[in-house]
Amino acid sequence: MATSSSSPKPLLRIWRYTTQRMLPPVVVIFLFLLIWQILCSRESAHLPTPTAVVSDTLELILNPFYNHGGNDVGMGWQIWASLKRVALGYSLAVVVGVSLGILIGISTWAMRGLDPIFQVLRTVPPLAWLPISLAGFQDNNPSAIFVIFITAIWPILINTSVGVLNIPSDYQNVSKVLRLNHWTYFSKIMLPAAAPYIFTGLRIGIGLSWLGIVAAEMLIGGVGIGFFIWDAWNSSLISDIVLALIYVGIVGYILDRIVATIGDRVAQATSA
Amino acid sequence: MNESTPFPCLELHDVQVHFGKGRDSFHAIDETRLSMREGEFVSLIGHSGCGKSTLLNVFAGFIQPSHGHASLLGQPIRSPGPDRMMVFQNHSLLPWMSVRANVDMAAKAVFPGLPKTERRVLVAEQLEQVGLTAAADKLPGQISGGMKQRAGIARALITRPRVLLMDEPFGALDALTRGKLQDALLEIWEKNRITVVMVTHDVDEALLLSDRVVMMNNGPAATIGEILDIDLPRPRNRVDTVNHPLYYRYRNHLTGFLRAHRKTGPDPRNSMKSPDTLTLGFVPLSDAAPLLMARELGIFEEFGLKVELSREPSWRTVSKGVMSGRLDAAMMLAPTPLRHNLNPATTPELEFTASMVLSRNGNGITLHKKLMQLGVTDRESFAAFVKRLPPNRKPTLGVVFNASMHNLMLRDWLVNAGLDPEHDVKILVIPPPQLLANLEFGNILGFCAGEPWNSMAVQQGIGFVPATSLTHWSGHPEKVLGYLRSKADAAPETYEKLTAALLQATAYCDNPQNRIRLVETLSRRDAVNVPASVFRDSLFDRFDNGIDEAKPAPGFHAFPVGKAARPDPTAFHKILGELVHWNCCPAPADSADALARALDHATFDRAVSSRVSMPDLTEINPAETELECLHEA
Repeated sequence: MATSSSSPKPLLRIWRYTTQRMLPPVVVIFLFLLIWQILCSRESAHLPTPTAVVSDTLELILNPFYNHGGNDVGMGWQIWASLKRVALGYSLAVVVGVSLGILIGISTWAMRGLDPIFQVLRTVPPLAWLPISLAGFQDNNPSAIFVIFITAIWPILINTSVGVLNIPSDYQNVSKVLRLNHWTYFSKIMLPAAAPYIFTGLRIGIGLSWLGIVAAEMLIGGVGIGFFIWDAWNSSLISDIVLALIYVGIVGYILDRIVATIGDRVAQATSA
Repeated sequence: MNESTPFPCLELHDVQVHFGKGRDSFHAIDETRLSMREGEFVSLIGHSGCGKSTLLNVFAGFIQPSHGHASLLGQPIRSPGPDRMMVFQNHSLLPWMSVRANVDMAAKAVFPGLPKTERRVLVAEQLEQVGLTAAADKLPGQISGGMKQRAGIARALITRPRVLLMDEPFGALDALTRGKLQDALLEIWEKNRITVVMVTHDVDEALLLSDRVVMMNNGPAATIGEILDIDLPRPRNRVDTVNHPLYYRYRNHLTGFLRAHRKTGPDPRNSMKSPDTLTLGFVPLSDAAPLLMARELGIFEEFGLKVELSREPSWRTVSKGVMSGRLDAAMMLAPTPLRHNLNPATTPELEFTASMVLSRNGNGITLHKKLMQLGVTDRESFAAFVKRLPPNRKPTLGVVFNASMHNLMLRDWLVNAGLDPEHDVKILVIPPPQLLANLEFGNILGFCAGEPWNSMAVQQGIGFVPATSLTHWSGHPEKVLGYLRSKADAAPETYEKLTAALLQATAYCDNPQNRIRLVETLSRRDAVNVPASVFRDSLFDRFDNGIDEAKPAPGFHAFPVGKAARPDPTAFHKILGELVHWNCCPAPADSADALARALDHATFDRAVSSRVSMPDLTEINPAETELECLHEA
């Protein structure tokens, strides 16, 4: 009885949600695809229509995890390879960036010594690092990881140092009066106080890593979404490029949301 | 303890303190000698800037004297340590730890060998002594200012210090809470009888608690002017102490000393007067009180400033006025400097910055009275009402400015109600003085704004208030003192004095005893220009929401006192996040940098440091002056 009387409401809510939230993006995407379809249906068009993209890449879409050996693997594996590189480079950047950021934040000497160098290095575009790292590592994979590392480290490092520098002097006075040992000061005061700043850096860093990996992989070859795009261009498989771009965008968005969600949680826990 | 055999516990040996070097050096304390017995309660009193906090920091070990030294039981003091625990003015609890964890951290640091179970018992006992057992597992952000200060005292006492150092421990609290905490401190001290040095502004606080009151001359080169033995019987309580025949003799002595040492003659720093008059913009609202009271009480003149106030019709004209240079500074909405600077069109010369928070809280969401007849009383019923409307009839709501706490608060409230602020309603920007007319004529169904507009709506029977700052984000920064950073860089002294003057004004406004005077000033034609009765609840820590009767609402209008007025990066970081979330401004590449540019901590810190002369609050407290006159007569 209770269900019968309350059932129209949830149904109504679902209907509202569908019309108000789901409908606008669906309509806009449909219009976009329609215009695209019309524009690219002309004889002179150089780009495929959406329907052509789907029919050309149907195998890639339906079977993301095939493996025919060599570079000829499914989109899932391509993205997985890129993600592995990003994970490695980004993790290194987090460890080194946070550590160096803390060092710069607590030591005036280190700050004066390192800051000018960092300020110059951070303006170097990610890809400019690739040749020198190829020369250094003599190998593609470590070079790509290094490019990710060097791209992501600056915002992490700089935000961490700012966070440490901004620890309220009152908290420092508390630690001085209590003569807290270094570990307690680090874990109980410095990290929580700097956490919101650190996560701002982490979020910018993950975005930059994903920007960097695609560009770096275009140059180094092998398995990876970046080289997949380059390879597709060389083979004139424009539809494959379109599909890859969609995947790149979605993965980048997911990465950003993951770090942002963790950051929001941490910021909530450390500010009261 | 055997007080009959006095031996020096704390001593100052010819202590001198200089800050800085060379031409800019500042002589804060001249040769000062002082000796304290074990178990003695000593207060340091004097005008702001007389160096009493500096002396306290010498005892604590934060400052090393340039000449002479301080000693504890004959041992020179070289660094801070737990034998001299400090109770900070702003409590300095770590916000990410519960009250218990804060106290426990101190216990663990000082008694590292103590087993965990014994330490737990110790912490529980200490929390019980200060009356915090029930709130032990709350975070500092979830408890009141008075409870935070209790927690600060518990954290200090758990280390069993030889000396307790208190830096204006109750200075940031309202009068009622301050009185309660003084009683609590008195009781705790009578039980423990440890040596206490307390810095205070408050003559009555010093008399109630101390064995001796040390009166300091004015700086620079301050020294001890006089020491008064307070020979009132112990154990003390407030009523008996105040009624003791000696009490007013002591009190008159102290106030007489303070009056005689009031700043006379021109302060050398004030002689560098800027040639022209400053123009300050304000929007007619209750929380314009600090600006209006500073003019009313002549506080600007005391700081050597000539200030004219300009009544502005909207927040847009405030921002434009500051950009064009017509206004030298203005009361701004807290999010304004952040959003203004992140606007891609803003050049570095036109960036805003804010040196202090002028007010906290004071906002409300008002809905049209007719909604109440349709069963709307809170956000859930409002959401239900909105969802019943046909999709083409979106309700329109008003906010006073895009970059305002009102906008953020309204959106947050809608989200919590399960509504989408972007789609389920229409949000319009309407200048504050026009909100009420728009609500009355049904152009908008409700608004989020500051006082007195919510109270006006309730009292005129047009609206009711389902949510206020207190239910939303209690203690949020609301108005700030904003100006062009380039102007402040060109004339740092002027903006430092302006900030110092307004700090004194916020302290005046926050005192409940002065609120009647605030009402008189605010209701005038050149101020907010509304009947005085409008303020009858909101300025007296009560609020009438128009749904049921007026209820107590402590801190409904909070004017931050002293360091509490420093723009807190954490709160502004949160505001920045919300601005970005609601697409009010683009996300900054470096949020720390954006905060650093929008918050002028340098000017604030200089304004509160001892270098700016800050006349004592008691001088401008009419209630107190009257009292003194009575006793002198």
